[in-house]
This record gives sequence, C-alpha cells and structure tokens, in this order.
Amino acid sequence: MAVSEIAVAAGSRLERPFVDILKDAAITGAVTFALALPLVGFQTVDQTTAIVLRTRFPELFYAVAVIFLGRLLMLLTNAGLARPIAAATGALSLLWLANGFFDVFEPPHMVLGWLTWIADTVVALRAALVMRRRQVAAAGYLRSDFGEHVVVMVNRLGGWLAPFVAAFAVALPFLPFADQRVMDIGIAILTYVMLGWGLNVVVGLAGLLDLGYVAFYAVGAYTYALLSTKFGFNFWEALPLAGGMAASFGIMLGFPVLRLRGDYLAIVTLGFGEMIRLILLNWSDLSNGARGIGDIPRPSFFGMPFTPAPPEGVVAFHQYFNLDFAPIHRVIYLYYIILLLALVTNFFTLRIRKLPIGRAWEALREDEVACRALGINPTNTKLTAFAIGATFAGFAGSFFATRQGFISPESFNFLESAIILSIVVLGGMVSQIGVVVAAVVLIGGPEWFRDLSAYRMLAFGALMVAIMVWRPQGLLAHREPTVRLNDPKRAKPS
Amino acid sequence: MTAPPLLRVEHLTMRFGGLLAVDDVSFDAADRQITAIIGPNGAGKTTVFNCLTGFYKPTVGRLALNSSEGSEHFLERMDGFRIAQHARVARTFQNIRLFPRMSALENLLVAQHNRLMRASGYTAFGLFGLPVYRHAQAHAVERARYWLDRIGITARADDNAGTLPYGDQRRLEVVRAMCTEPVLLCLDEPAAGLNNRESAELNELLLFIRDEHKIGVLLIEHDMNVVMKISDYIVVLDHGRRISAGTPEQIRNDPAVIRAYLGEEVDEALPAEVARDLGVPATAPRGQP
Repeated sequence: MAVSEIAVAAGSRLERPFVDILKDAAITGAVTFALALPLVGFQTVDQTTAIVLRTRFPELFYAVAVIFLGRLLMLLTNAGLARPIAAATGALSLLWLANGFFDVFEPPHMVLGWLTWIADTVVALRAALVMRRRQVAAAGYLRSDFGEHVVVMVNRLGGWLAPFVAAFAVALPFLPFADQRVMDIGIAILTYVMLGWGLNVVVGLAGLLDLGYVAFYAVGAYTYALLSTKFGFNFWEALPLAGGMAASFGIMLGFPVLRLRGDYLAIVTLGFGEMIRLILLNWSDLSNGARGIGDIPRPSFFGMPFTPAPPEGVVAFHQYFNLDFAPIHRVIYLYYIILLLALVTNFFTLRIRKLPIGRAWEALREDEVACRALGINPTNTKLTAFAIGATFAGFAGSFFATRQGFISPESFNFLESAIILSIVVLGGMVSQIGVVVAAVVLIGGPEWFRDLSAYRMLAFGALMVAIMVWRPQGLLAHREPTVRLNDPKRAKPS
Repeated sequence: MTAPPLLRVEHLTMRFGGLLAVDDVSFDAADRQITAIIGPNGAGKTTVFNCLTGFYKPTVGRLALNSSEGSEHFLERMDGFRIAQHARVARTFQNIRLFPRMSALENLLVAQHNRLMRASGYTAFGLFGLPVYRHAQAHAVERARYWLDRIGITARADDNAGTLPYGDQRRLEVVRAMCTEPVLLCLDEPAAGLNNRESAELNELLLFIRDEHKIGVLLIEHDMNVVMKISDYIVVLDHGRRISAGTPEQIRNDPAVIRAYLGEEVDEALPAEVARDLGVPATAPRGQP
C-alpha cells in the first residue's frame, strides 16, 4: 500500500503523531455523520397523496468524506506538511478550474463538483497561509502585519487606481463585450456603490448605525414618480427636489433618535424603514398602494426622448444623431446618469470628510461627551449626517424610479437596507474603494452567476462568515488622517 | 470697585433624588491663577465640575463667569456645548476622553471646530476650497503645531491618539482643551496615573498655561505633590460641603482638612507617608497647627 507507506514515512517528520491526527479526523467525521444523517440523509417528498421519506445516502457519504479528508489535510498542514499539501491541493484546484473551461471530464453532479472544488481550494489556501505564517514567524515579523500592510497598500494604490477605474467605467459602454446584460449589471452595481457611499457618511463617518436607509431611497423614488406623473416634472427638475425631500425625512428621523446610540438606534431606524414602506402600501390615495406607480417618464437627452416613434414635433435621440433606433441607447444614457451621480457622491463625501464637519462626525463617533466639552453642537452635527446621507439615497431613488418606469413598495423592503449596509460593512467603513469592491462582489456576483441562483444565499452567508472571521473591521478598512503634519514617507515606521 | 472674579460660584447645590452630592458650596476662582478643588473620594468634586461645564443642571446656585474681555455668562442656564462655545470654559476628564482613532493633530483640529465651521461658511466655502477656508485651516494647523511642540509630540502628530503613551495622552487632552481658546480651563485629575517624571512635565505645562496664556485654571487633583506645588488657591470639599479654602500654606495647617482626610482620631501621629503628601512634619500632633 503506497499511501500508508508514504504516511508512515511522512509520520516520522510530523510534529504530532499520525494516529492522533487520524483519530481527530475520524471524530470530526463521526460528528458530521451524526449531524448530517437527519439533515442530509433523509428527505421528505410531498407527493400528491402522501408524504414519502426518501434517503440520500450518497450525499451523506460525500459530506462525511469531505469533512474527514478536509480535517485530515488541515491537521497535517498544521503538523508540518504545509508545503506538499498546498502544492497538491492547489494543483488539483487549478486542474478542476481548467476542466470547468474545457469540459474534459463531466462530474456526476455539478453542484457536488463545485463543492469539492471549494473545499479543496479552502484547504489549499489554508495550507498556503500556514506556510506563509511560518516563513514570517521565522523571519521575525508580527503575524498581523501582513494583512494590514496589504490593506494600506491597496488604499494608497486606491488614489492612483481611482482614475483608471473611473476611466474604465466611462469607457465601458464602448467596449466590445458591453451588451444589454453587462450594462444592466453595471447600472445595478453603480446604484449600490452610490448608496454605499451615501450610507458611509451616516454609518462609517458619524458612526450612526442606520438599518432603515432604504426609506430615503423610497422617498426619493416616490417623490420623482409623483412629481413626474402628476405635475409633469422632468427628471433633472425633480432630482434636487427628491434629494431635498429625502433630506427632510432624514432630519425627521434624526430628531427623535438623537439620544440613541448603537443597538437602540439600529432598532428605531429599522422601524422607520418599515414605517415608510407601510405608509406607501396603505396610503393608496397618494401612492396607489401595492399596485405601485407606473408609466414614470424615462429621462430624455436634452429634451430628446429615446423612443422609436416620437410624437409630432419632437425629435428623438436617434433621429437627431442620425442613428438607427436601438434600445441600448437609453440603457447607456441611464448608465452615464448613474455614473455621474455616483462620481458626484464620491467627490462630495471625500471632500466633506476633510472639512470641519467631517472631522466633527468622526469625533462624534469616537466620543460624544468629549465633543460636547469642546463646544460641538451634537444635534446639528448628527442631523447634517442624517440629512446628507439621505440626500444621496434620494438621488439614487429618483434614478431607480426613472430607470424602472414602475415602482411599488415591494422594491423598498428591509432586504435592500441590509444589502446596502452589508456593502458598507464588508468593504470596510470609511473606505471608498472598499465599497466599490464589496458592491461588485455582492451585486455583480449574483448577477453573473444566475445559473447557481439557488445557492446564492449560501455563498452570501459563507462570504459574510469568512469576512467576519478574518477581517472583522471590513475588507479594506483603513483610515488615513484627514490632514498630516509630517510627511508619511519620511516618518519612521513605528 | 474691584473687578468681579473670573468665576464666582454661589450656593451651588446638586441633589440626585435623596442624595445631596454638593451642598451649598461657594467659592471664587481668579483669573491667571490655578485654583485646586481637593477632597476625599466622593466629596463632590467632579459633580461641581459637571455643573460648571453643563453636564448637570444645578439644583440651586449661581455660576457667574466674568471674562477679562468683559463678557458675563451664567453657566447654570446654558447647555453643555454652549458653555464651551460661548462662555469658553474647557474641560478634561478623569478617564481620558480623546478621539482614539483620530490622529493627535486631528484631535486638536476638532477642538477648533466652531472657528473652522465659520471660516468654511458652514461647509459651503470649504467644499469649493475657497481661500478664506484654506487660510483658516492653515492657521488652525499652526496653532495645533504650537501646542504639539509644547508637549513634545510633534513627531507623532499623525499617529492615532489612542496609540500614544499614557502621559502624552493626558497632556494631549489638556492642550486639546487649550485649542478651544478658553478663558477658564477645568482639569479633572490630570495627574491620575502619571509617574513622577510625567507628573513634573504636567506641572510645567500647567504653569506655562497660567503664566503665558493668562487664563484661569480650575483643578481637581488627588496628588498632593501637584496640588501643593502649583496651586495658588485651594478649596477643600468633604461630603459635598466646603470645609476650607485658602492658600496651600493655610490648607496644609487647617485642622478641619486634616480631620477630613484622616478621620476624627487626633491623638495618633500621622503615618510618615501621608504626612509627606500633606506636607506637614511627621511628628506634628494634629489640631495644633
């Protein structure tokens, strides 16, 4: 038996007896079996006449095997075999990926195949991490330095990278692969990037945990929808009004919650978000209730609509530019609108962070009592944070309304608030580039992998757990001072 | 007629339900002097401070602040942040309250918030980087640099305040209060937890503030070394009542003070350690100054 011989040969070099490791892995496998037997092993199937019990023993066996092998490899990694295990599992992971592209070998069950790949990759990454840690420990660095170093690098690079990312975003519609689907995903991502940047003012800078941010998004959307359908406002006229309306709702929410912090604030804002949704649902005279508002005017390009057959006396966009009519023109135009709005949000939040009001927000987040002792008015400071955060949500809301052409209270449920907050938290509070990365992952990811939609929530949860374990402060959380006295390059590393 | 003192506290009383924390306390604090409030634990010293700086509304009493520029404020009528903003009373806290995840420099800039807000046109000018705001910002940074130089941490100005050594954090909190340009600086146990060298540095800083910036300093302190060395005037509280007031020389020999600190027993000689802290001869029988 070649395997056992290798094991024995390797065992002589292990830092922990092989039998011990085997026992540990076997116990883990047994626990998995006990847990998975009722959960995975049996399944009730609803047939028309009765409910039948079905068994799924192959899946059960698979789960136990994966856990047993994974645990075994992990323990061997820790016991000093990191290098060979990283090499072997890494190679397997890459082979599997290659197979995914070239379809040489068809796995018996696609999802199980991908699960195997994920498990294998996790083991490979962990082995690589252990290797790296041992090298670092041998070189005498602190363990935590490395991750922090990478984050500082990314954030510094962020300043250089931002123009390129922005240039890419501007050029995207003209790239060869930009079809309707890509543009739709781009619009969705940019909307959430903008919402994330707006919420960052409230949560990241001012430290006010807001679980009802979607309320302001809804206010903005309904303001535009009502102004345009009832009073004939166009998009650009309604936009500032929608922002202002959302800001006044932000102040309205702000007043009663001035004294609350942390959990209590979160609960009240959560309630506020639901209240707005329920009001929209029930105040039918105003909002048309659950049927929503339809036929919301699409934005026009300096008065030129994007329609194939414009009414008498109006020149359509494609006629003016002598193009053939194509529905994608409007999508591209919408894309540029949201890109512009997002860039304005970015510019504004970056700028305001370095102004006295921005520093006062951060100071308020750090210590409200000290702020009062320094003569900062906590009421006004908090209310401006709520109002400015809400304004951006209002802008994004009117964009949402004009893009969809139809809105109903269903679009503004708690899940939206949760997603926006996840983007801010995952990206790392106060990190502009972190919000972009998190929005691409959380919004773009599910859109790309629609085929695996049944497993979207599973992946979402796994991602959340992973981030909370490895970087609880967020992916790219790193704070640069708003103003410096000394040159950072000359400063000695402390 | 002589000018009124910088701060006149009259009949200050603070009641929390059934507890009388401060009971009819009156004292004056003069401009350009360091006035210390001392007393055993629970004597009501911090409560007096909280009344002065607007964290509590006094039950009874008048707190009149007359700055040398002629403005007059009744602190008992003002909201907390307005006292710091308009009456210009600044304070520090017993447990340090810096903004730990902001740099030392930013801490000092936040202290100049109100001036910078005006200069930035309540954010409107600042957003477009108008010169009026840029000058104000540069000026604020210069003021911060002056104070950082004074406490010798300019090299670490860009480090988070929470990462500074304890003694530096204490002094940073004091100079942060100074950045608000106060007429009265209230320090709540600034020397707590400092070693001898750090405590000496703090003394030097406080004397500098009194002599060069010509403001009144009000000080709560347990460390008698600090109190006796730098105070010009001392108020002693016990169980919420003022039991004595005078110069350090008078206080050190006041039998009521010694009784409050050491209990009613007057026969025993002072333990050597306590006597040294109080600055009286170890063998002196109490009750006979």
